[in-house]
Amino acid sequence: MSNVADAAPASSQVQPPARTSIGGLIAQTEIDLRLFGMLVALAVILLTFNILSGGKFFQPTNMVTLAVQASGVAVIATGMVLVIVSRNIDLSVGSLVGIIAMTYALLMTDWMPNILGMGPDFPFRWVIALGIGVGLGALIGGLQGFIIAYIGVPSFIVTLGGLLSIRGFVWYLSSGAAVSGLDPNFQLIGGGALGSVGGTLTWALGIAGCVAIIVLLINGRRQRRRYGFPVRPMWAEVLLGVIGSAAALGLAAFANANFWPKGLADRYAADNNIAVPAGGLQISTGFPFPIVLLIGVTLVMTWMATRRRFGRYVYAYGGNPDAAELAGINTRWTILKTYVVMGVLCALAAAIASARLNGATLDVGQSYELYVIAAAVVGGTSFAGGIGTIPGAVLGAFVMQSLAYGLSFMGVNSPGQNVVAGIVLILAVGFDAFNRRRGGS
Amino acid sequence: MANRRFAALIAVAAVAFAACSSSGGTAAPSSGGGGASAAAGGGAGCTVGVSWNNFQQPRWAAHDQPNIKQTVEAAGGTYIDADANLSNEQQLTDIDTLISKGAKVLILLAQDNKAVLPGLKKATDAGIPVIAYDRLIEDPSILYITFDNVLVGKAEATAVLTKVPKGNYVLIKGDPGDPNASTFLPQGWDQAGLKDKVTSGDIKIIGPADGTYTDAWKTEKAQSNMEAIIDQANASGTKIDAILAENDSTALGVVAALTAKSYGYPPLSGQDGDPANLNNVAQGKQYVDVFKNANELGKAAGAAALKLCADPKTLALTLPDGLLDPTVAPTAGLTATDFKTPGGVTVKSFILQPTPLTADNLQVAIDAKQISKADLCKGVDAATAPAACK
Repeated sequence: MSNVADAAPASSQVQPPARTSIGGLIAQTEIDLRLFGMLVALAVILLTFNILSGGKFFQPTNMVTLAVQASGVAVIATGMVLVIVSRNIDLSVGSLVGIIAMTYALLMTDWMPNILGMGPDFPFRWVIALGIGVGLGALIGGLQGFIIAYIGVPSFIVTLGGLLSIRGFVWYLSSGAAVSGLDPNFQLIGGGALGSVGGTLTWALGIAGCVAIIVLLINGRRQRRRYGFPVRPMWAEVLLGVIGSAAALGLAAFANANFWPKGLADRYAADNNIAVPAGGLQISTGFPFPIVLLIGVTLVMTWMATRRRFGRYVYAYGGNPDAAELAGINTRWTILKTYVVMGVLCALAAAIASARLNGATLDVGQSYELYVIAAAVVGGTSFAGGIGTIPGAVLGAFVMQSLAYGLSFMGVNSPGQNVVAGIVLILAVGFDAFNRRRGGS
Repeated sequence: MANRRFAALIAVAAVAFAACSSSGGTAAPSSGGGGASAAAGGGAGCTVGVSWNNFQQPRWAAHDQPNIKQTVEAAGGTYIDADANLSNEQQLTDIDTLISKGAKVLILLAQDNKAVLPGLKKATDAGIPVIAYDRLIEDPSILYITFDNVLVGKAEATAVLTKVPKGNYVLIKGDPGDPNASTFLPQGWDQAGLKDKVTSGDIKIIGPADGTYTDAWKTEKAQSNMEAIIDQANASGTKIDAILAENDSTALGVVAALTAKSYGYPPLSGQDGDPANLNNVAQGKQYVDVFKNANELGKAAGAAALKLCADPKTLALTLPDGLLDPTVAPTAGLTATDFKTPGGVTVKSFILQPTPLTADNLQVAIDAKQISKADLCKGVDAATAPAACK
């Protein structure tokens, strides 16, 4: 037994889990069973589609498409967790994405060259556009947050108003027309063969992931020991390290098995006088930028939610608003901040959506609020408040999108996709409620 | 075809046109000029009232309204209008107001073709002839002026089928709840020979045989559907030779998917004449964009209203020669013909032809003020530029 060496009084209160059953063994690794269950569910969905399609489905290209399609909703879902945990809701995210996407498009096609004097050659146009979009998102989010937290209008009403009125503003910006032709650098945010980090950097990211996992495990063990908390048995630590590293490297290898489309590779070869080998030139795309962005957002948001005061306040408030208030937490300021975070995340998702479209239409982001809320809820966020994890919401977004993409891949039409998505949403939450009740009794 | 996208397409021209129409009917005869002069005379004392169902859609202010107005005013008539702002009740009030303001002819864009019937009865009781503009009202007393919506689908498919007579097709349809998406446009596709070619095996459909529907005609949804179809085709080693998309918002999503996948650009259809799509046509990313020239529809309605003013009894009227552009209707002897409605009523009608725009005739879009040359030719490679961009 590699349990606490110096048996501190604190540890005696925390009963080490039973070690005899399989459940007990899993409990010792402290794996979040819910997350683990969702990973299994995702794997089952992907495998089912793979069998149904005769092995055509589970290929790097397809999985990269799926991941890119899920990335926008997943980015916003990380913020929706905090909003729902603090017993609020945000219905305005779709419209917010719409107005920011339209702002990006108009900035780069019209306002920058014609008003601000920034022609196509102006350096870092895409950074400036992104900055303006993030600022706009934070501003609108902050305004809604202010009305909810300080004036006391229910968040459902405020953001429902936002849903309607912000979409209306999108119309006024463009008179309803589609705007296209973004900055070439900005378009890379949307992924595609050119909008990916490439093979080498993908391996580097994979290795960095391994190192980070191992460092975190070692550091966590040291800290627990320092404060006299129970530590995982050594075999569990090693198992987690191995699984985590394998996952990081596996993902990198998988992404690198996705190659440039033939036409593009041939053109590249012709332009650079490279002889094309028999099987065609194979250039790894690696992780697309939207996925890198999503990984970054997930890490930062998880860190904020679990390691920063802001995140702890959000969960404290969601668990018991009165107690949080009495404990001296500035709850209003905390709520306002959750909406500012939402606005920023919407700006990032809008960048992905508009970059993918190479422009914006009146309906960009429409019904995102439903997909985002579904992702958060499937990912285990409870409407009762106080419960929900960010990686869970990201996984939830992937589960929902894998169904949509898979059905689409199988040639099932959108009414069928909606039927399945709706049923899965109810099943996921129902299963969760059943589990919680059983666990509670 | 009254889907939302069709309304949303004309923004750029709307801005350009706002200046034009606000400078006054007499000073700006530029686009209605030809028709107006043809219809000139005999309009004095004729007040034409127009009841719009939703004037906020940019199309009406940009194309329809100025052409009706110019045609009527150039002949010495008076133009008045009212906007019901999507309300059936408001439209009935509007009709009352227009009649009491002295309208001799009513042009009606019905919010709902059933709810408007009391208003129609009031007008006919007062002996005022009614033109059902762009949207059918099932009543034998009206004159129906519209574009042929089945022909839109036929024009899309004809263009693409001529270009790619054999091969693998992808069908991208609009919202499953919209009869245009599920019935009328596919009818046009079949009339152009799609169904026969599928039966004979010349054409193979990739994805659902019935086509892939796009919720709410959303561009993003069309894009993700198309990405899945491309992945599926790549995985099973088939090549996509052509794509039939029902309208421009879905075609825009298809182009985005093709670009993301670096797939190249197989011939692709669309309709609406959306500026972003016309630009894609100029760039060679979309093959054909079927365009309903609303300017001509406005001219036809204006001229018909003047005729009805002079002779309210004769619905089977003939429009002046040379009024309309030859791309939408014969230039001479255009007389209202019988049209059997889905409800089994026979009405007199002018049914104009949509115009398929390809790289060869994009000049039509510039002439119709649908798009400026600068917007049309943005990002077009000088070497492969279509004639309209040279």
